Amino acid sequence: MNATEHASNSTSRWLPLRFALREMRGGLRGFYVFIMCIALGSMAIAGVGSLAASLADGLAREGQVILGGDLSFTLVQREAKPDERAFLQAHGKISSMATMRAMARTANGEATLVELKAVDNAYPLFGEVTLAPAQSLDDALALRSGVYGAVADETLLARLALKPGAHVSVGNATLEIRAAITGEPDKLSIGIGFGPRLMISEGALRATGLIQPGSLVRWRYRVRLPASADDDAAAKAVTEQAQVQLPQAGWDIRNRRNASPQLERNVDRFTQFLTIVGLTALLVGGVGVGNAVKSHLDRRRETIATMKALGASGVRVFAIYLTQVIVLALIGGAIGAVLGAALPYAVSWTFGAIIPLPLIPALHISEMALAILYGLLTALAFALWPLGRAHDVPVGALFCDVVAGQPSWPRRIYIALTTVAVLALGTLAVLLAYDRRVAVIYVGVAAAVFVLLRLVGSLLMWIARHAPRARATGLRMAVANIHRPGALTPTIVLSLGLGIALLVTVIEIDGNLRLQFFNELPAKAPSFYFLDIPASEAKPFDDFVRAQAPSAKLEEVPMLRGRIVSANGIRAEYLKPKEEAAWVLQSDRGITYSGTVPEGSRVVEGKWWGPDYQGPPLVSFEKKIADGLGLKLGDPVTVNVLGRDITVKIANLRALDWQNLGINFVMVFSPHAFDGAPHTHLATLTYPDGGTPAQEAAIIRAVARQYPMVTTVRVKDALDAIGVIIQNLVLAIRGASALTLLVAALVLGGALAAGHRHRVYDAVILKTLGATRARLLGAYSIEYLLLGTATALFGVLSGSLAGWLIVTELMHLRFSWQPLPALAASAAAVLVTIALGLAGTFKALGQKPAPVLRNL
Amino acid sequence: MAGVEPDTIFISNVNLSLGTGPARVHILKDISLRVASGEAIGLIGPSGSGKSTLLMVMAGLERPDSGEVVVNGTPFNALDEDALARFRGRQVGIVFQSFHLIPTMTALENVAVPLELAGIADAQERAKAELEGVGLADRLHHYPAQLSGGEQQRVAVARALAPNPAILVADEPTGNLDEDTGKQIVDLLFAGHEKHGATLVLVTHDASLAQRCGRVLRLRSGHVVDEA
Repeated sequence: MNATEHASNSTSRWLPLRFALREMRGGLRGFYVFIMCIALGSMAIAGVGSLAASLADGLAREGQVILGGDLSFTLVQREAKPDERAFLQAHGKISSMATMRAMARTANGEATLVELKAVDNAYPLFGEVTLAPAQSLDDALALRSGVYGAVADETLLARLALKPGAHVSVGNATLEIRAAITGEPDKLSIGIGFGPRLMISEGALRATGLIQPGSLVRWRYRVRLPASADDDAAAKAVTEQAQVQLPQAGWDIRNRRNASPQLERNVDRFTQFLTIVGLTALLVGGVGVGNAVKSHLDRRRETIATMKALGASGVRVFAIYLTQVIVLALIGGAIGAVLGAALPYAVSWTFGAIIPLPLIPALHISEMALAILYGLLTALAFALWPLGRAHDVPVGALFCDVVAGQPSWPRRIYIALTTVAVLALGTLAVLLAYDRRVAVIYVGVAAAVFVLLRLVGSLLMWIARHAPRARATGLRMAVANIHRPGALTPTIVLSLGLGIALLVTVIEIDGNLRLQFFNELPAKAPSFYFLDIPASEAKPFDDFVRAQAPSAKLEEVPMLRGRIVSANGIRAEYLKPKEEAAWVLQSDRGITYSGTVPEGSRVVEGKWWGPDYQGPPLVSFEKKIADGLGLKLGDPVTVNVLGRDITVKIANLRALDWQNLGINFVMVFSPHAFDGAPHTHLATLTYPDGGTPAQEAAIIRAVARQYPMVTTVRVKDALDAIGVIIQNLVLAIRGASALTLLVAALVLGGALAAGHRHRVYDAVILKTLGATRARLLGAYSIEYLLLGTATALFGVLSGSLAGWLIVTELMHLRFSWQPLPALAASAAAVLVTIALGLAGTFKALGQKPAPVLRNL
Repeated sequence: MAGVEPDTIFISNVNLSLGTGPARVHILKDISLRVASGEAIGLIGPSGSGKSTLLMVMAGLERPDSGEVVVNGTPFNALDEDALARFRGRQVGIVFQSFHLIPTMTALENVAVPLELAGIADAQERAKAELEGVGLADRLHHYPAQLSGGEQQRVAVARALAPNPAILVADEPTGNLDEDTGKQIVDLLFAGHEKHGATLVLVTHDASLAQRCGRVLRLRSGHVVDEA
């Protein structure tokens, strides 16, 4: 190859870029929607990714503090035995702690549920407890003049109108409140509580008398490994030794790398959800990209024809415009990535002080690159098709406005390229997902929705084409506008349909969450749960409560805590449960025994053992959970109860309704399975018509006074605590969806704007031929109304379907269709469409025809 | 206005400027004109002389800055934008140099538009008849892009004639066509003018074409400078 040829080759290599940039010299007009669509979608993805990564960094860096040690060993209902404690002490400095629910009572009889935490002198091994007024924790909890000290959350002090120096009673002990807790380092690892924190010393806990056989108390032993061996490998080695040396302990062992697995799981799950919303924003934006590219190429028809007349091949034309698309996608993606990367900083600066999460904002280049990659792939997936059509723009376009001469499908190679881009986008989404099953479903549903909406658009055009001719001119014009060549129908249906479907999905999820958590309790929901009723006191307690609330129904069952150690011979940690059953293995569960089938459940497989059963211990499993764990009748299950492994066979499977909030157990054992094991009772109290606040307050006071050991959980309070989480979830769903809706509106506006030039032309010609502004306005309104209504019907249908799927299959809740809000939102969306559509043409309608005609 | 009744077009002291600021150009300068019912006049003159603008004023597409325009007994000054549109739909047929068909409508639909807008019940049938009249019976359902330039202009002529207008205005209707096709279009225009008895106003650069009109006005720099 000689020098001239080489230079020529290198010039031609860069030719598409040079031509592309030359064409863009005049500015990015016409591409703002393109860039904004990609930028918003990429921003969502980069933002979610950066936030999650910052949170993961925080959780990793603060792992020891959150866990309260390098390792944590949790036992339920029992303290560590001497050999267990010796094992722990041999590996480093230990701190023990007990947590349980209890009632705190004031002198005037007020009582409230508290999350009690009793700590030893070594607590905290990492981090610091801060108090107001400032003082050392040891001092604050110390025994002074025969009274133990206590520190509490501000909310408890506010709820019981307490100030430092005030006294509260817990169990048999009286405690002096000495300070409010302003910082508790290991709060995240302990999980969500139903009441405010009350922290006392271990001595004080023993003085309360709450530690009875079978009390629902968790003992946590945190270990600080010696400085010489405090790495992950050392922590792992200790864990393995514990499992080998003390296999019967039944403890839950965590290390600083999984300080709060539940939180990490939730962060992962939520990240996936938000990424899906971000992807939806990108996909909706992709429609805008496709529209922008199509109208850009329409405007450039003459330019393309001229270039071809001057010797450009179809491939070269394609390359020039493909380069433009890539440059624009990179610009949009980069804007989005930068804005998204700022999200962790923004969250940290604005909410850092109030969110209890260890967020460490940082620039996550990989998350930014991923967002740009998603943006680029989306742009390609939606632009390659119209770009491919540019290949075949005939040179004849220079001589006449040929519309019919060009096929609507691009060449096979461009169809193949589009398919590759779509597959790459889908594969990326699935590969990077936390839950690939959900991601695959999402990709499938998204593809189906796109195809369906395209079909709906074609169907509408077909119906409009074959509809009987309307007598009214306005209606006839409107119907004709729907099916004419170049009609906006497919784009409007796609962008509006996606928008409405998403809106309705969010409304249905939102409405169902509200309905089930805020608006109404199930008719037979209990008002109270009573925990830790000593077995010996069960009968007098029953009599007492029945006397206090004669109209209410009291149910009482024995309760223990048990942890599934293995199922069907496979250890719990190696089981691969389905998502809906995984929670059963995550920690200890409440278990009971009964001679009769528990109320509210029915046996669906196998036989119940009967009240007089005396044989080897058996267990009854909840059907869906058993299915989720892959268990069937006759399979052996080993459960650790109070440090003892019990292996039982599954005798039957039950179906039960979790949402009636009654007493439900995954596992119910045969009557003599736990003979001799200390345990407490659990009771519920249900008023026939739901309790009044006065009735409920009286019960809380009376039970707290008479049975200080019994913990009363008011269902409404517990639901309120969950409600706060649900409320935040709903807010996040709304916030994330708002972004997608914004993109949908942008795409819709862009699509309508793209048709604006044709609309103005039509309007002016029609005015020249005698059409009044009102008539044109009427015709356009009817057109948008017809299109909008038909699309809204599909949107409501598909949105409701999606909402039902998410509510029933992912959230495992009952679905109740919310037609009115869905229809109202759809109507609003249709009105917005009409307004957007008319806004574009309104100005043109007011113009005199002559100046416009002169410029045509 | 006394004595204007026999005239289809009465224009008195019309002035019109276009553009704003330094770019503002005085196009029509104190033009007065009367065109009798059924008359055919040709407007000729160099580019920028104001002939197309005068045509637009006659068609109610442009409002003069001053002066009076009365067409078929209707003073335009008294009509607002919509009333003018309605008037055009019933009384004025317009043929443009660039055809100005609606690209998303078939030939039949394009021709039917003014009839439908005027609320005529058999709009489609009349439109079909007009298209057959201009020799496009086999092109009824073709879109403009599927028609040749000559065919598009024939659709435009049929559209202009369909409402049976009082005046028929044509702005260089052959400007974008070859000689033979242009002649066919002009023949159609004159045939329509005679058949419907419409007043014809024809703007053209072509002096021989203008001569086919009974009366020719020459414009220069916004003035009528000659009448033949």
